[in-house]
Amino acid sequence: MNRKIVGVVDYGLGNHASVRDTFKSLDYRCIISSDPEFLSGCDLILLPGVGAFPAAMSAMRDRGLISFLCTQARSGQPIVGLCLGMQLLAESSLEHGLTEGLGLIPGQVIPLEPDHWHIGWNTIEVINQDKLLLPSHGESVYFNHSYVFAAPEEYQIATAQLKESFPVAVRLGNIVGLQFHPEKSQLTGRAILKNLVDGLTDA
Amino acid sequence: MLKKRLIGVVTVRQGLAVQSFGYSRYLPLGSPELVIENLDRWGADEILVQCIDRSVQKLGPDFSLLKRVGDLGLSTPLIYGGGIRHTDDAVKVISLGADRILIDSILWDSQPMIEAISRELGVQAVIANMPVHIKLGQIYWRNYRSSEEVLLNINTAQQLPIEWISEILLTDWRHEGFSKGFDRRIPLVFPIIKNPFILFGGLSEYDQYTDVLSIPNVVGVGIGNFLSYKEHAIQNIKDKITAISLRTAHYTAE
Repeated sequence: MNRKIVGVVDYGLGNHASVRDTFKSLDYRCIISSDPEFLSGCDLILLPGVGAFPAAMSAMRDRGLISFLCTQARSGQPIVGLCLGMQLLAESSLEHGLTEGLGLIPGQVIPLEPDHWHIGWNTIEVINQDKLLLPSHGESVYFNHSYVFAAPEEYQIATAQLKESFPVAVRLGNIVGLQFHPEKSQLTGRAILKNLVDGLTDA
Repeated sequence: MLKKRLIGVVTVRQGLAVQSFGYSRYLPLGSPELVIENLDRWGADEILVQCIDRSVQKLGPDFSLLKRVGDLGLSTPLIYGGGIRHTDDAVKVISLGADRILIDSILWDSQPMIEAISRELGVQAVIANMPVHIKLGQIYWRNYRSSEEVLLNINTAQQLPIEWISEILLTDWRHEGFSKGFDRRIPLVFPIIKNPFILFGGLSEYDQYTDVLSIPNVVGVGIGNFLSYKEHAIQNIKDKITAISLRTAHYTAE
């Protein structure tokens, strides 16, 4: 049986090693690359992310990855963004000034107010009956961010609660963004990643 | 609801995990990887690895250790501190598998560098370690390399680049490693209130954890020595602390 291949986009920032190890533990093949030829041959493209939005977009631009990712999204290749990788899917971000994003899902990344940070383990509420995440409704996952992807409601598939509720997962067709770190959310996170990869690639 | 965190602290000196007592006396525990792997299996909410001799000896971060830890395939968030000098160090630490960094020496040496690091990694990834103790009702911040101390009050605290850090690790360095040692006045008199606190140093008992975690601005506690030589210590603590919202104790036998 052919193992599914997850292509992790290497744009010079991010926790690639953690992501790779998690997918390998789930018995997927995983490559880390910035080469469009390699990435386009994968079953799913994964945008990881630990860092700030402008630095990440600049690094992707330097590597010629922006137009490639937009083309792959239009072709229907599944793309999943994690944490900063989710925010990069947005049209723009206000982190350290206004920066244009990939624009794959409508919405803007804005400061998380009034809380400033969302760090630690929080429960997610799955909305719009999204089948990919529904098994994980009410589970605790690990967050580490200070900006939030303010996507229109129709693209939100999960929220979390601080003083106010805000989106923590978004989806437009085969493009999914998760604000949390499933790769660092222990057994819960692994189950989420498996559902995502299988759900998006078996469709 | 956001949970408060139990953070397993692994202190590394000369490449070995150690039990530390007031950062002045040490007992070797062995391979840091083994201690870290146990914390991962036991379901710690975060793991903090602090290499305490890297800045003193100007060695930079322990990339070799980070590589070995990265190869463990941890599923628990990892914080790394020790020897981080500049943005390139910080980015490499993250690329090797850490999720957040702990800075200490840079707070004394180059506050603009903290802004530069935060612009690269995001503020949420940067934690400041501040070794402190209370003397005559006032709180003092210690430069552990020079052993100098600075009185922390509203005026001196305003000079810190708090907008470029997320959480502050308040380390009761004098009582670190000593059972029931933590001075609970520390989070109450610390002059910065904008940033959440993680407390560390001499927190060993269930009632202590419950007590300090009930302080609103305290988001987590670091536990070091008191996890050593115990099986599943994290789950045991979580099972006992029922008055605080903690993540359910998980255990993986992988």
